[in-house]
Amino acid sequence: MFKKTVLLLALAGASLTTLAAELRVMTHSSFSLPKERIAEFEKQSGAKLAIIKGGDAGEMLNKLILTRANPVADVVYGIDNTLIGKANAAGVLEPTSSKVGRSVAAANLPGAVAIDYGYVTLNIDKAWFAKQKLALPATLDDLAKPAYKDLLVVENPATSSPGLAFLLATIAGKGEEGAFQWWGKLRDNGLKVAKGWSEAYYTDFTRNGGARPIVVSYATSPAAEVFYSKEKLAESPTANLALKGGVFMQVEGVARVKGGQQPALAQQFVDFLRSEAVQKDLQTSMWMYPAVAGVALAPVFKHAEQPASFSNPDLKAMQHKTAAWVSRWTRLVIKNAP
Amino acid sequence: MQKVLSLSDFRWLALPPLSFLLLLVGLPLSRLLYEGGLAFSPALLSDPYLQWRLGWSLLQAAATCALTLLLGLPLAWVLAHFEFLGRALLLRVLMLPFVMPTLVAGLGVLALFGPHGLSGLNLQDTPWLLLYGNLFYNLPLLIRAAVDGFDHVPASRLMVARTLGASRWRAFWRVEWPVVRPWLASALCLIFLYCFSGFGLALLLGGQRYATVEVEIYSLVAYELNLADAGALALLMLLLGAVIALLYALIERRLARPDKRSPPLRQPVQGWPQRLLLLASLLLLALFAAAPLLAVLLRALLADAAAWRVLLQDDTQLALGNTLRFSLLALLLATLLGLLHGLAARSSAGLRALMFLPFMVSPVCVAFGLLLAYPAYSATLALLVAAYALLAYPFVAKAVVSARDALPAALPNAARTLGASPWRVFWRVSLPLMRPALRRGMAFAAATAVGEFAVSLFLSRPEWLTLTTLIYQHLGRPGAANLEAALVLSSVLLLLALLAFMAIEWPEKTHARTS
Repeated sequence: MFKKTVLLLALAGASLTTLAAELRVMTHSSFSLPKERIAEFEKQSGAKLAIIKGGDAGEMLNKLILTRANPVADVVYGIDNTLIGKANAAGVLEPTSSKVGRSVAAANLPGAVAIDYGYVTLNIDKAWFAKQKLALPATLDDLAKPAYKDLLVVENPATSSPGLAFLLATIAGKGEEGAFQWWGKLRDNGLKVAKGWSEAYYTDFTRNGGARPIVVSYATSPAAEVFYSKEKLAESPTANLALKGGVFMQVEGVARVKGGQQPALAQQFVDFLRSEAVQKDLQTSMWMYPAVAGVALAPVFKHAEQPASFSNPDLKAMQHKTAAWVSRWTRLVIKNAP
Repeated sequence: MQKVLSLSDFRWLALPPLSFLLLLVGLPLSRLLYEGGLAFSPALLSDPYLQWRLGWSLLQAAATCALTLLLGLPLAWVLAHFEFLGRALLLRVLMLPFVMPTLVAGLGVLALFGPHGLSGLNLQDTPWLLLYGNLFYNLPLLIRAAVDGFDHVPASRLMVARTLGASRWRAFWRVEWPVVRPWLASALCLIFLYCFSGFGLALLLGGQRYATVEVEIYSLVAYELNLADAGALALLMLLLGAVIALLYALIERRLARPDKRSPPLRQPVQGWPQRLLLLASLLLLALFAAAPLLAVLLRALLADAAAWRVLLQDDTQLALGNTLRFSLLALLLATLLGLLHGLAARSSAGLRALMFLPFMVSPVCVAFGLLLAYPAYSATLALLVAAYALLAYPFVAKAVVSARDALPAALPNAARTLGASPWRVFWRVSLPLMRPALRRGMAFAAATAVGEFAVSLFLSRPEWLTLTTLIYQHLGRPGAANLEAALVLSSVLLLLALLAFMAIEWPEKTHARTS
């Protein structure tokens, strides 16, 4: 009798789990895909997608690390090249690969599958520079000159991913000592530090009522300005300013979570993100470039010129030194120490 | 007088709110501290940089308290003493800054005092804007509490004083001030804790140089996963917050005294000096509390018709429904917890201080602690609503304590003597007398739930989209259309909140009846 009950319960449990097969996907807060794509995946796989947003990418990874004993997700999207070293060292990812498509050259994430990439770079307000008849800065060092005093706003690398990416680019571009010397000069030249991208772009950038015509943003932002303009614009009101040592290439990827419950479904989701349909859609839903080679770019991306070069520190350095760099930056720039 | 048992003498009422605090704050925080191993570097606290941060946090919180008191008390006095058209509506409109997402409020402030501001003054990156931001968010709290306090001043006593020749000033000082003091104490305590540990508008307007210690804790936890140092800092902040809260509790308990509640003395405005006084007060209020909101509304109204089409989108409908649903659930829970805590806290300074616990702990530490303590529930709606309620219920508890303190003992005692059970006394006598304060507390609680507080720190799901998160989604992307959509949605949020405040605090006609 007892055995029978147990058996029945087990069966009931099993049928329940098969009925409600659920794939838990952890993402950063910017994850966004059209509803049809999500529905399509659910129909193909027969599973329900539970998307869990864990905040900014860095915050999300730390949430995964803290819960690794009882993983809260089966697959994670949004870990990028600044975080992959830390993720691998913490052992929260199951080495993941995908047979779908071939990645573009620089889009590679050890242990994870690259889905998209983009560039963090300076954006300028074209109208402001035209009106002031000021030449654009040609090098990072120009930004520390009196002509460009009080013109730049950056995000705090301690609270923002683009802020961190830009700091990393300057370190790779100028070397650690050179970069921090430059940041010190920048601070004395009226650098403004905002908490995050939204604050910088919407309260400090001249395009939106602030007083700073140069902002740290993404290379795709000028295209998004056209896409989300009120009247159809022929050209973007903003432009990329890709200075040497001021461009960071960000690669975002997906991986299975170690100890996750649905490895097969998780793999299916990884392959789904590499599918052509998703690679096309993510361009204008997340404003990143597709990581799979040969996928056509959205027409609006003609307004987002891809920087010719970038400067990233190597993955190992980013894994081991980022925390120290950020803390040094904070002390130098925020604390106002000599 | 012999003490008669009443429902509020039962400390056991505190059991549900205390267990709630233990589950949502105590355990998660301990779990986080345990995870960090408490192996923090002692050098941390001797670091001049952090000392400076801490000093700044304390200073700006104290300065904000002083400023809001200085500006808010006279304004509240005017609002409490004069009857004028739209007074009830004004008191509700006054709470709107509370629901405004920080970034949107910042846009409103800059539309006035930014580089291309309507006022022609560019105050961006000056300390003035910093103070302005702090006043914008905190004046409502102080004014509403003070008006409530003035309403408890027995009119007869004030009239006697005036008849006996006391000047207005003397009557204020000797009659009104002692009654209002305890009401102010709790509001100031709340304001202090808010500014001390908040991210807030001031930061947005002042830049990162003015960051509080909470910003350091956030970056230690969320970016560096340095739980040891973060835990140590969070404990230190908790300790300082607790000292403030306990100080408040002792002050309030000493000052509290029951009043013979009589209808408040509100006169129609007579003569030019009074008219000018009222006008000046309303203008000051408009400048500090309403102007940024009006700027947001104006920008939304000037937006393209296309921008208003955002209201028809599926996402907006979803967000609207969720905002209503979550706020209602959180408000119910917060009211229950707040009522119980408020009633139980009457005679205990410890319990009084403890109701401010949700504002003393570092939000990011609680969010990460919850994840550690209950991984299985981390992405459930129950936890999200509980978190909303946690941050909302101190408003209810605070209002209930103040109202309970002011309750005349004679009425419940009489009811008891006449044979009413403690429960009946509470239901028929005490609760109706406390109702206005309770409703005020509930309105603030609802505002907290509608607002953005801590939402982004918890795990969330796209299907839980609320108006606030939708606004931030739009502001997370470039483009004029996104900005306009955010402004339109913010206007909807304001309207919705105002309707909610009107529903919760429907003006009562009881005053007219008693006179």
